[in-house]
Amino acid sequence: MLSYKKDKIMKKYTYIILCLLVCWTTACKKLDVPPINVVQDKDIFTSSGGIQAYMARIYSELPIEDFRYSPQRGLNFFWIISPFPAVTGEALSRDQTGAMQENVDESPWGDSYKLIRDVNYFLENLPKYASTFTPEQVNSWLGEARFIRAATYFALVKRYGGVPIVDKVLQIPASNVDDLNIPRSSEEAVYDYIAADLDFAYTNMGETNQAGRANKYVAAGFKSRAMLYAGSIAKYNQITLVDPSGNRVCGISATKAITYFKAAYDAAVLLESKYSLYKNSWKAGDKVAQYQNFIDMFFDKNSSENIFVRQYHYPESVHGYDAYNVPRQLMGGNGYSSEVNPTLNFVEMFDGLPKNADGTIKTMTAGKYDLYTNTMDLFANAEPRLRATVILPGDVFKGQSIEIRRGIYTGSSAGGISPLLPAGATGNYPTANIVQSSNATQTPYTLPDGSKMNPAGLSGVFSGDGTAAISGFSIRKWLAPDKPTSEVLENRSDQTWIELRYAEVLLNRAEAAYELNVLGQNDKNYLQDAFAAINQIRERAGADMLASAANLNSIDIVRKERRKELGFENKTWWDMRRWRIADKEQNSTIYKILMPFYSANDKKYFFDARTDERNARYTFDVRWYYEQIPNGEIQKSQKLIQNPGY
Amino acid sequence: MKKILYTLAICAVALTTSSCSKLDNQEAPSETLTGSVVDAGTGKTVQTENGSGTRIKLLETSWSDNPTPFYIASMQDGTFNYTKLFPGTNKISAEGPFVPMVQTDASGATTVDKSQTVQIKGTTTVKFSVEPFLRIEWVGEPVINADGTITASFKFTRGTNDPAFQQDISDVQLFVNSNKFVGNNNFDNRYSPKIEYNGSDGNAQVGQTLTFTTIGGPLPTNREYFIRIGGRTNYGLKYYNYTDVKVVTVP
Repeated sequence: MLSYKKDKIMKKYTYIILCLLVCWTTACKKLDVPPINVVQDKDIFTSSGGIQAYMARIYSELPIEDFRYSPQRGLNFFWIISPFPAVTGEALSRDQTGAMQENVDESPWGDSYKLIRDVNYFLENLPKYASTFTPEQVNSWLGEARFIRAATYFALVKRYGGVPIVDKVLQIPASNVDDLNIPRSSEEAVYDYIAADLDFAYTNMGETNQAGRANKYVAAGFKSRAMLYAGSIAKYNQITLVDPSGNRVCGISATKAITYFKAAYDAAVLLESKYSLYKNSWKAGDKVAQYQNFIDMFFDKNSSENIFVRQYHYPESVHGYDAYNVPRQLMGGNGYSSEVNPTLNFVEMFDGLPKNADGTIKTMTAGKYDLYTNTMDLFANAEPRLRATVILPGDVFKGQSIEIRRGIYTGSSAGGISPLLPAGATGNYPTANIVQSSNATQTPYTLPDGSKMNPAGLSGVFSGDGTAAISGFSIRKWLAPDKPTSEVLENRSDQTWIELRYAEVLLNRAEAAYELNVLGQNDKNYLQDAFAAINQIRERAGADMLASAANLNSIDIVRKERRKELGFENKTWWDMRRWRIADKEQNSTIYKILMPFYSANDKKYFFDARTDERNARYTFDVRWYYEQIPNGEIQKSQKLIQNPGY
Repeated sequence: MKKILYTLAICAVALTTSSCSKLDNQEAPSETLTGSVVDAGTGKTVQTENGSGTRIKLLETSWSDNPTPFYIASMQDGTFNYTKLFPGTNKISAEGPFVPMVQTDASGATTVDKSQTVQIKGTTTVKFSVEPFLRIEWVGEPVINADGTITASFKFTRGTNDPAFQQDISDVQLFVNSNKFVGNNNFDNRYSPKIEYNGSDGNAQVGQTLTFTTIGGPLPTNREYFIRIGGRTNYGLKYYNYTDVKVVTVP
């Protein structure tokens, strides 16, 4: 009995122990599984789809100043009032009243280093899975990643000068914290690092890739840009900052100018015959066709000129360029319009306008205003590129004549109309003999013939309301020509941003060649080469051609061509900085505007060229040639030294 | 039960109040640094502008060999006075429109170091002797013209003999303002004329007597105008050198 009981108990224990053992051991079998809701390296790096996904994200972080950039709010932000062109003097905006440097604190610095880390991670881990792919594929992707790293370092060096070079994934926590404290490299070393990455990319990448991704020629194009910047710094920079170990973190020795300009030139030549200027609807001698061609260039997906683009697509990836910048009379539902109004200074650079001897626009003869039946008559012979870049008063956009009028002049016209203000005056227009509107709610004025006319045009200019063409012009470049007003909304635009087009490469080549010629290099006929490149640009633009290479006698000709061709493409500010001319150009400067008036007695228009009515003064602080390194970063690292003057 | 509750409550109050009884506060900084930046050639203070002109750089070396710099802005007459410093050892130098007090060569080695190491305690006075890039002086007194404008004569000379700091002169301006703070960052540009020089054009004007007349027509009457002349060279951050401020009363 007892033994039976004992036996039973024993059996019971045996089962329990057995159960425990079974449960235990099976449970032990695998606890250390990677979390299944987190994508692992082996999921990413073993399929081309995974790599495409990785690429898609790092491309989206690439720091380029596109439709979602403004110096006030930084990269990748939808709200682009205080637009970039209103900082350079290309345009005026009601929300920007002076010069500025980027006001974005940590953003370009911190975001760039995050991206560099992602690229370094890719570079270190892809080779571990190389057996899955062909060596060509692997090399091409490594090249692509290094292109992105180079473009990111370029975004840093053009802002801050020499920055810390991080070429591997830093381990956190580090065994030695000092390993994370990386000092700034010299500005020259950063440019050389960029060049090395881009050379690797050029050697290893293929000739084509998906739209929006780089190929070997994109790398070469970027190299021509970066090396041109480096050459300009070497030649024109006046600021020096050397750290205790001898790294010149601000400035590059002038002796390096030739090396960098040569590198820029050679890289630009690599793109020859691979890309070309867009001339699909261009016709020799036909200004209308040339004008249409220049507009089409920005919207043709198959343009032979597009080298590197960033695509957008409604509704998942959008911007609001149209909503913020359409002329007032085509304003969309959000109530934004005309944030970018090109200055007369910008317009005066172009050919085909009546000019005074000093290059300013001619609006008067013998002290009396010239009269025109229509506002467009002044621009009858304007260079087609100007019309395609700027909406001139009275020009047609989206089927409407864009009406820009400052007011109605009601005074006598006997013997001609004298200037409304003395030359150079910055004051308000007199109220006698001028009828004006303070905003878009207008009271029509009865003309001598009994007909009625609003004092201001439908797109302005209003005396008390900045939502108008405050400079007398409105922007046309990048505006979708066929977007219905119902869709002119914030976060509703999706045209493609062209970050690098062949025209820039030609201009890089021309500038580098011209500088090499000035620096006495004659292993090639650089001047002839620059001349040919400039004339290619001018021919497509419908501008006046340079007669001969001898006429290319000033760097200003090359620079002006660049500012005209690439205006409103967010490149000009960087150019003004690297040429070190911004502080001369913006030294208590008021930009000029052109105000059309209607003379009631003449039934004709006249134009008054004057300075910005708001008296917005632009002064570029010399310190801004090197931006302030975010103070938060300075405090984090003892080895990071601040740029001069901050 | 109630007793326990009361005891607990008293304990809690006692604990919270007792922890408050001692403020863990550092004494507010109260040491004073005062002084001036003077022209080694003339003994006068080097005129500058408020905010973006001369500044004093302090390196607090009591705790670290590589401290984050602390800056004190100078007043526009070239003097400075700061009353909220902690006591300690400081390496002090000045940055502004004069030959840099600390210079490094291409290898990063310090070639010139005129900074002063001082103990800051109580009121510490420091005087820096420097060579300004330009010495700008009035020639005679400004005059009010019959047409209501002001004319002023001046000349500028090099403040240093070192050719490494004799860059081209970039521009000179007459700054006009309605209050005594006047300079490149604070002036009324309706009345202030300027001359910009291309390349080395300005260098021939060194030592010449030049004249500025205010622009923008007659100045509004019955008020005082504060005027001074500033000029700069193409060196580094292109600081302006100035004359002192003159007051002109337009009747």
